[in-house]
Amino acid sequence: MALSFQPIKPLLQTGTNAASRWFSYIGLGIGVLLLLCSIQMYINIQQLLGGDSPRKDGHDFISISKTITDETMGQLEKNLFTEADIKDLEGKPFVSGVSPLLANNFRFQLSGGSLVPFVTDFFVESLDDTFIDTVPPTFHWQEGDEVVPIIIASDFLEIYNVFAPSYGLPQISESTATNLGLQLICYYPDGNRATFRGRVVALSDRINSIIVPKTFLNWANQRFATTKELRASRLYVKTKDANSPDFLNYLTEKHYKVNKDKTKFGRVKQVLQGIFSGLGIFGLLVVILALMLFSFYLQLMIARSKDNLQLLLMLGYSPNWLSTNVARRFIPVYILVVLFAVAATQLMQWAFHHFAMYDREELTTWLHWSVFATAGFLIALSLFTNYRMVKRLLYRMA
Amino acid sequence: MTITLQEVLPTYFEESRRHQSEIWGKQLTFNKGEYIKIVAPSGSGKSSLTHFLYGLRNEYNGKLLYNGQDLHGYSVEDFARYRKDHVSIVFQDLRLFPEQSVRDNLELKRQLNPYHGPEKITEMAERLGIGSKLSVKSRICSYGEQQRVAIIRALLQPFDFLLLDEPFSHLDDNNSKKAMELMLEEAAARGAGILFADLERIDFFPWQRLYHL
Repeated sequence: MALSFQPIKPLLQTGTNAASRWFSYIGLGIGVLLLLCSIQMYINIQQLLGGDSPRKDGHDFISISKTITDETMGQLEKNLFTEADIKDLEGKPFVSGVSPLLANNFRFQLSGGSLVPFVTDFFVESLDDTFIDTVPPTFHWQEGDEVVPIIIASDFLEIYNVFAPSYGLPQISESTATNLGLQLICYYPDGNRATFRGRVVALSDRINSIIVPKTFLNWANQRFATTKELRASRLYVKTKDANSPDFLNYLTEKHYKVNKDKTKFGRVKQVLQGIFSGLGIFGLLVVILALMLFSFYLQLMIARSKDNLQLLLMLGYSPNWLSTNVARRFIPVYILVVLFAVAATQLMQWAFHHFAMYDREELTTWLHWSVFATAGFLIALSLFTNYRMVKRLLYRMA
Repeated sequence: MTITLQEVLPTYFEESRRHQSEIWGKQLTFNKGEYIKIVAPSGSGKSSLTHFLYGLRNEYNGKLLYNGQDLHGYSVEDFARYRKDHVSIVFQDLRLFPEQSVRDNLELKRQLNPYHGPEKITEMAERLGIGSKLSVKSRICSYGEQQRVAIIRALLQPFDFLLLDEPFSHLDDNNSKKAMELMLEEAAARGAGILFADLERIDFFPWQRLYHL
């Protein structure tokens, strides 16, 4: 017959301090609830604000430039990116790739040709193909080619369509735009000019510029430019998460300017994550406090039952068996407290998803597995700390 | 199964005790099945000796071996097994759970390593005249009754040696004899030895070896 703990129970004098035991249970419940809610909310924020920028292969592409201040105004070297800046950025773990947006170093004009008769001083830029969202197979150029393929920002077409009527120009659709013939006029330093035929091959939602193949711009810069130095005033950055706090902190620290739309969620996310991290830490502190309170209660109980426990050890009861059984007495109540907290967290998540988020698809009504894992860990932690303490006290008695 | 004393002397005793005593500072071996009587006046260390042998205290020089193993090297778990399976004791100061009934006191020992069934508790209690006290809290019982409870408690487990530290100090001759008979029967059933420490010789204990402490 297995040794029974039943006749030993009355020997443990729980005494009149039941109130402190209940306080510790309630404290533990509140602490665990706070901690679990914080973890779930933290995960909710991740899921809600995870991907807002135009993405390609799961990456965000954003352009950054240096902030021009009154002090740096007019100082090119301070407002352009150097090789060192690019290297530094490339070395960061949150950056998957960097490509400078190189612009023309000569005077450049764009003309609509016969269909859209206008001429304006403009600029062209080039960028690594992998950074462009729409790259048709025709987007390449080599010396001797008559036609230069162009990718323009969809925004530009929109702007054009806004002002075109007031200048008596025809508004154009996206499909017409992609077949539009343009004239690219490049000026030599002495004022002579060379004209190329340009063809819009695609529109881009991602890049706010007029993009020509790198081969063309490199060639043109060599041929028409007043300076051979190639400098980038804008960089395109490929990153896993444009809203990552590390990335945003880096940009702030370096005084880099970034498209606000693409990172504003990141700022909100940073603040919310900060709040819930703080709440999580507070919950953890409450859990620790409750565990401490309970350990005082246990110590008191053992001190009050010292004579009985000593006599049991004297009779031949194993201190290990006794401590295991004393600690085991509290397993059900601990599991119950944590399960109650898990249930309350589940209720909170359901209410948040249903009432606050109107069942948005990015979220689920169910708790994330890590919340359950934390709950399990907390049960194990509290039982382990109790067992260790009781064992230590009983071994000291034996 | 043997208990060996190798020049054991309490640390709080003077060295001269080695010469005055037949046990302190001597080399002795007690075998399972032997009945040993130890006669000792007050203050000569009866309780110290039984407590050393039971592993409750260890303030002594020299060595105490159980089956060749030094008790100094025992862990708390080893002592738990030693007390549960091999050595039983009747304390001079009884040591019962005051708030538990006599039966609960006995059951707490019996269930640890049941040598007897629970019915034996009633039988032994009847035999020693405390059958009617089984459901009474032990602190309500007289010293004589408590002493009989302590004696029965020591007999509910298996043992190789039974240590008795003035087991009849609160009993009259008639009750002492009954208790002795029961202990001898139980020891014989286990083939166990008895180490009986008391102030004076007791005629109804059939000792084989007698020592003066």
